[in-house]
Amino acid sequence: MFNIDMENIDLEKTYDLIVLGGGPTAIGCAIYAARFAMDVLIIGKTFGGLIATTHLVENYPGITSISGQGLMDMFKDHMDSLRIPYISDEIRNIEKQDDHFVLQSFFQKFKAYSICIATGSKRKKLGIPGEEEFAGRGVSYCATCDGPFYKDKIVCVIGGSDSAAKEALFLSQNTKKVYIIYRGEDIRAEPINKKRVLKNEKIEIIYKTNVIEIKGDGNVKSVSFDNGNQLEVDGVFIEIGSIPNSDLAKKIGVETNKKGEILINRKSETNITGIFAAGDVADAPFKQAITGVSEGVIAAYSAFDYVKEMNIEY
Amino acid sequence: MSSDDRYKEIIRREMAKLKKPVKLKVFTSQGTRSDGTQLRACMDCGEFMALIRVYEENSNGMLTIEELSIDDNPDFAKKYDINRVPTILFIDNKGREIIRYLAAPKGGEIQPFIQAIFNFAGTPNYYEATIKQNLDRIQPSTIKIMMTETCPYCPQVITVSNSFAIASEGKIRTVIIDIMANPDIGQYYDAAGVPYTIINDQKTLVGMVGPNEILRALIGGNIRVQY
Repeated sequence: MFNIDMENIDLEKTYDLIVLGGGPTAIGCAIYAARFAMDVLIIGKTFGGLIATTHLVENYPGITSISGQGLMDMFKDHMDSLRIPYISDEIRNIEKQDDHFVLQSFFQKFKAYSICIATGSKRKKLGIPGEEEFAGRGVSYCATCDGPFYKDKIVCVIGGSDSAAKEALFLSQNTKKVYIIYRGEDIRAEPINKKRVLKNEKIEIIYKTNVIEIKGDGNVKSVSFDNGNQLEVDGVFIEIGSIPNSDLAKKIGVETNKKGEILINRKSETNITGIFAAGDVADAPFKQAITGVSEGVIAAYSAFDYVKEMNIEY
Repeated sequence: MSSDDRYKEIIRREMAKLKKPVKLKVFTSQGTRSDGTQLRACMDCGEFMALIRVYEENSNGMLTIEELSIDDNPDFAKKYDINRVPTILFIDNKGREIIRYLAAPKGGEIQPFIQAIFNFAGTPNYYEATIKQNLDRIQPSTIKIMMTETCPYCPQVITVSNSFAIASEGKIRTVIIDIMANPDIGQYYDAAGVPYTIINDQKTLVGMVGPNEILRALIGGNIRVQY
């Protein structure tokens, strides 16, 4: 779900808070900001964030089981009920001018007294031969997007995380066979999902193995392992973790750690006054939709406090 | 509320806000029998038209859907190169095709379709100023976007591309293709992932791409921006 309601967007206004991102963290932040009566705008490249690609969310309190897209549809309804505007765009630079920030995209310029960076993360790539060549032609980073192409076919999921396990479970619904290829000795999925994977007759786990090349002819045909073996597959789903979308933050001097995650304190403050950060892009050790929302909500409250201290009438 | 009811509710709520008239053409294969009654030969066309009529019926008379049979309108079908049904066309007042849908606007595709209708009707288009500033650098272009119903990112790429086309004074045309309903097109382009965006059958953008990436691909260089 996605739309831009220009009648609800004022490009001349200095917003109390502009939230960068489009996932649960950004929307959670904006919902609280709107309820604090702040003028808030969300600017994001991807509405829904990474969680929209998850086929099953079973750990968001109050909702027993839902797809990631379904959860984000509910977030969208909530956001719409508060008339929070959303724009699909990317900010390429931020500058401080007097008491506010100026944010520049490729399409417009925006002004805000405070900013929350909730730009999330993107899928990590393997960096092996064939990965780029067959992207969209057998190599995928999104099972919910591309799963329907592999009905009755053989696919592999590379990775051993909970996300990898869930991708394999989703893919097993339509495919003939799913291999999980993991470099470790035991997959790191949540126990409930690990149990489901181990019980699923269509899923086979290949442990202590790395994929070193993806081969094909127009489309993917096989993967090569570091032990010299090959496996014939029609599709390769790569799920080896994610990296924070913090390039803009770094460019404007926001402090990050070695992983590129933005350093925040318990108020979701960064080293730059007036700029807050939350969710997957920040340096929390455990990253979930619910923890991102929590940090986003704290960021909204901190931004509210910050703007209030500026004695701006709103 | 079932997802079907939820989607119908979104269509009802959003289409009621349409304030300016829009006409769309939908091509089906509808033959006229000897007794004068109409019969749709295409299997999907009945369900497809029922869906499109939900948009029309909830628009307070602002949206008009004209169903045209390729059998009864061969010249028109030839003029717009209609070679499969059902096909939806957004044609501007100069007779130029702006958007073509080889996909049913249901599920996640409801919002992009509604956004296209509203922008086509003349509601403010966020990307318009930048598109116009760069129009002299954009060659006449066709953006083909392959999507599936389950793809969460497709609606965003479609919305942006449609908005570009509507702002481009006829220079850009988009074709929205449901790859599961049109597998031959997917096979032709070797596409096994969505969103899969092809510009002028030359440049391919795989996966989620933002508006600046699409515009850069159209221009073949940096975007000119003057706020």
